[in-house]
Amino acid sequence: MSDFIIITNNPLVKEKYEQEYPVEFQEDSFEETLKRARDRIYAGHRLLTHPLSGSVKPKETPYKSVLVSRKPGKLDMESVELIEQALGACGKFSFHPEKFGPEVFADFQLIDCTLLESALPSATAW
Amino acid sequence: MKLELGNIFIKDIQFGNESKIEDGVLYVNEEAVKELVLEDEKIKSVSLDIAKPGESVRITPVKDVIEPRVKVEGRGGIFPGIIAKVDTVGSGKTYALKGMAVVTAGKIVGFQEGIIDMSGPGADYTPFSKLNNLVVVCEPVDDVKQHEYEKAVRIAGFKVAVYLGELARELTPDETHVYETYGIMEGKEKFPDLPRVGYVQMLQSQGLLHDTYVYGVDAKRTLSTIISPTEVMDGAIVSGNCVSACDKNPTYVHENNPVVHDLFEQHGKTLNFVCQILTNENVYLADKMRSSDWTAKMCRFLDLDAVIVSQEGFGNPDTDLIMNCKKIEAEGVKTVIITDEYAGRDGKSQSLADADPAADAVVTGGNANQVIVLPKMDKVIGTLDYVNTIAGGNEHSLREDGTIEVEIQAITGATNETGFGYLSAR
Amino acid sequence: MSKIKVVHYINQFFANIGGEEKADYPAEIRVGEVVGPGLALTQKFGDEAEITATIVCGDSYFNENLEKAKADILEMVKEQKPDVFVAGPAFNAGRYGVACGTICDAVQEELGIPAVTGMYVENPGADMFKTKVYIVSTKNSAAGMRAAVGQMAPLALKLAKGEPIGASAEEGYIPNGVRVNFFEKERGSKRAVKMLLKKLAGKPFETEYPMPSFDRVDPNPAVKDLSKATVALVTSGGIVPKGNPDHIESSNASHYGEYDITGVMDLTADTYETAHGGYDPVYANEDADRVLPVDVMREFEKEGVIGKLHNKFYTTVGNGTAVASAKAFAEEFSQKLLADGVDAVILTST
Repeated sequence: MSDFIIITNNPLVKEKYEQEYPVEFQEDSFEETLKRARDRIYAGHRLLTHPLSGSVKPKETPYKSVLVSRKPGKLDMESVELIEQALGACGKFSFHPEKFGPEVFADFQLIDCTLLESALPSATAW
Repeated sequence: MKLELGNIFIKDIQFGNESKIEDGVLYVNEEAVKELVLEDEKIKSVSLDIAKPGESVRITPVKDVIEPRVKVEGRGGIFPGIIAKVDTVGSGKTYALKGMAVVTAGKIVGFQEGIIDMSGPGADYTPFSKLNNLVVVCEPVDDVKQHEYEKAVRIAGFKVAVYLGELARELTPDETHVYETYGIMEGKEKFPDLPRVGYVQMLQSQGLLHDTYVYGVDAKRTLSTIISPTEVMDGAIVSGNCVSACDKNPTYVHENNPVVHDLFEQHGKTLNFVCQILTNENVYLADKMRSSDWTAKMCRFLDLDAVIVSQEGFGNPDTDLIMNCKKIEAEGVKTVIITDEYAGRDGKSQSLADADPAADAVVTGGNANQVIVLPKMDKVIGTLDYVNTIAGGNEHSLREDGTIEVEIQAITGATNETGFGYLSAR
Repeated sequence: MSKIKVVHYINQFFANIGGEEKADYPAEIRVGEVVGPGLALTQKFGDEAEITATIVCGDSYFNENLEKAKADILEMVKEQKPDVFVAGPAFNAGRYGVACGTICDAVQEELGIPAVTGMYVENPGADMFKTKVYIVSTKNSAAGMRAAVGQMAPLALKLAKGEPIGASAEEGYIPNGVRVNFFEKERGSKRAVKMLLKKLAGKPFETEYPMPSFDRVDPNPAVKDLSKATVALVTSGGIVPKGNPDHIESSNASHYGEYDITGVMDLTADTYETAHGGYDPVYANEDADRVLPVDVMREFEKEGVIGKLHNKFYTTVGNGTAVASAKAFAEEFSQKLLADGVDAVILTST
């Protein structure tokens, strides 16, 4: 049993990892996904990956995957600060889904997936 | 470690029957270069083009910018662990082709970034508009995976740069600079009264299109480490990045790292430039903690008095930057940090995603959200297909009259966080 | 091309009328006259602009008759139809600085005419108006007149012509919170090395991006024996007796309330409510203990967990309330809490 939960709106992450890890997938926006992570954090889960991972800006990609600890504990203030700052940063950017073709969405999914993937060796090391 | 860096000024690039450098002109045999690139079976076709300063030319989407160099004396070769075999570089003699670059372009993902305008207002924002650029545009074979394509283009750029660098092996440089760093005791004896200064370089390390390699090692799988700044001049660090055009470090910036150069300028005069510390910017938060702990610890072990910390990329690296700054300052080592800002199009939003009072000395590369209108260019190298979709663009970016309205974050090197450019903000 | 028209505002002192004893001098306009610092401005304007009228007003008069003075001066400015309005420079003169800021802000807001002033960074007017008006950063005395005017005049011309305004570092105005890009003369790395050398030498240096200000308060040491402590409740959640007797505003509160809860065991929907805007008040109105936990505190009191609950609570609305106001409220009622022998406070918000 892994020590983390993947919170995501990325169907590729769901497809790739749901057999192996707990994945909480919902089809919603980048910001809503961060909000789901935030709600978890306020419930005592610890943030394990940076919510602004990657240099593809919030809302310039529609996809976001975040790792939080599986078991809730004491409220972790560092997690709170990070997730709130990330949500704050969302306001600076805008997403225009109409400008992308379907193949670009596949690329966005892939990039988000590789960002998450880069955290897994550390997340599963122990 | 002592490196003699010989500069050979290239004032023009032309295609010719034979690849050679003569009187400051680089002649490129197109077929020979194409053959070299096509060695990689992932690349279906390649086209070469030349873009010169002042021309009405736009290069996009840019993947990497590389300065050709050749190792003429001493251990190893350029781009160790990638093109040359693994061997410690940074001593002996190296020649660099100045005033030019190899620019790789090609669509790896559908939202790609990176514009270099060779003239007009956009040219002011990219340092690479001042160079004679040999542009290598690679098309992949069908059904190639993005990461395979990224790697193929990345390696193609290095191969071409090394090929061109080799042409300078027997030449006499136009000017030579000598850079030398000392061992800890040696440096203390040599400059007993000078403050001991280091350079902490943060490397983007987060996955496809977000990676950096040190001697061929993926930086996200490393602990913070020490390197001699002269090693960097031999291509010990290369870019695998092509997201966040404005504030990622192309390989050219690593080879010509401005913090390294400006610290060397003061080396032995006002400070003792002890070494460079490399650290990463990972996705996993515990990695960030560990890497910044390690960096601060090394600053202390090396008895540094002060460091400059440079950043790469947007968003989560702000957290690494602030962690590094806070922890290094807590060790009693003074810091100046270099970053850039995302203050919104109106400049009114909070610039960084993290902040701390310890960060009292900040150099900024400017607000990446600033909007700019780029005029139509007579010639586009690469493709404009993606201009609407690049970061900082929108569906109206490419206007009917051919002008482009984008945020400067789409321009390669616009707000570089090693302090490579002149742009700033207040 | 006709010259840009400028109306200039100065106080009684710079109009050579007199010092403090003449500070009650009412507002007057001198059409066609250039007075005091206006001469220096005119020189800087060259052929591009001219001062068509000077408004003179005493500092006490302005501040003590704020509404009337503002209205009168606005009327005078309106009549002149200037392209740009210039006030001061006020240097370190506090009331003059506030007057310059106030009138520039009003001219911009009400007449739509761009305005510029100048003052020393520590002038209270600077902090009050720097985000609303371009305020050129000056020395702290009139000895800095030449330098001040040297930056105010070109900035005024740019504003009049509707030209883009550069970064604060270029134009010389006090940073106004809006980040503006510009090209430096030296590249970033060089600036970093220079800054580092200054920092190492203990010399003053100027960061290019001041961190957002942090007002962090170190927590007091823990209360030694809670069972003997008098504990008070304070909230920014807007809990007030039903009907909001002191009319605490639902946002940007101008005052706080002090209410006696002697004998109150529980806050009910009939007796208490919230005055706070900006959040769904239903649950707070249903049971105000959710924001101001009197019921739980009474239980603790009964069980001996705490010594006793203080018989007064202090309340205001946090919604949009300026930090400076909140600080002022707290400074005042903290003294009362201390005087009443309160050992600890539980501070709640929404």
